[in-house]
Amino acid sequence: MSVLQITLHDNRTEFLPGETVEGRVSWQLAQPAKSVEVRLFWFTRGKGTTDVEVAATARFDRPAPSDQQPFRFTLPKAPYSFSGKLISLVWAIELVVEPSGETERVEIVLSPTGREILLYPDLASPA
Amino acid sequence: MKARDNPFSTDCVLHIRYRPLGITWPELLERLKALAYRAAIVGPDGSGKTTLLEDLEPHFRALGFTPKWLRLTEEDPTFRREFLRRFLAGLNPRDVVLFDGADLMGGWSWARLKRQTAHAGGLIITSHRAGLLPTLIECRTTPQLLGEIVAQLAGDDAPPQEFIFQLYDKHMGNIRETLRHMYDLWAHR
Repeated sequence: MSVLQITLHDNRTEFLPGETVEGRVSWQLAQPAKSVEVRLFWFTRGKGTTDVEVAATARFDRPAPSDQQPFRFTLPKAPYSFSGKLISLVWAIELVVEPSGETERVEIVLSPTGREILLYPDLASPA
Repeated sequence: MKARDNPFSTDCVLHIRYRPLGITWPELLERLKALAYRAAIVGPDGSGKTTLLEDLEPHFRALGFTPKWLRLTEEDPTFRREFLRRFLAGLNPRDVVLFDGADLMGGWSWARLKRQTAHAGGLIITSHRAGLLPTLIECRTTPQLLGEIVAQLAGDDAPPQEFIFQLYDKHMGNIRETLRHMYDLWAHR
């Protein structure tokens, strides 16, 4: 099994629209890979069908078995990170190895306040 | 509870894969081979038919087949003629057609599709009723199976078995609907 890691600059995970998210990805691959890709994307989680949209990618073809690379993405203006009881929208940075499909993911928050928007006040308390 | 923390969210539930009851995977695959890869997965709603069909896909790939999907639902119960024409024209003996919701096709359409896929390497369907193709397996559920799935999803937070069994009865063994019910209960915590 490969070892994959995503480190965000200053360990920061909360961002405003249009800000830059940057960091470093590192990997130790268990077997040769065609590519390693860093993706900035959002997905929904909840009761219904899951939606996913990739906002930006950085691809490293024919990666060395062990390496690390910086990445830098400018966040879009929307959609905002939010949670209700039926659906949450979650932003994340993902490191994906092809063709093995191994992944590592770090979730981040994108909103005008820098905090996840909660649709119900009672969601603010710990689950 | 936030939707993203709900252990019964769709993405969590989709990680639960098919668990054969009363038959092992090798036996199931042997039976599929004996039926020349033309068979039906039969069962009521929420009994795991689609999940089993999905879980067969990697087995077909391992055998050197290329799985090709067709899917009908009650919301979308017909194929566009051009789509189906192209799909069928592109089939070859190394393809296996995995057809979810075959019983939603009309009788004539089904008979024609069965004929037009005869040269493919296989045709596996899901159906609520037996008789469209030889039955590979009749999917069924048990309260114990539901209990295992709930325990896997909710961990230490799983409700008492008696409560789970009541929900199972309420939803008449439909595990998908029962898990959606559980989602709602967790959402209001």
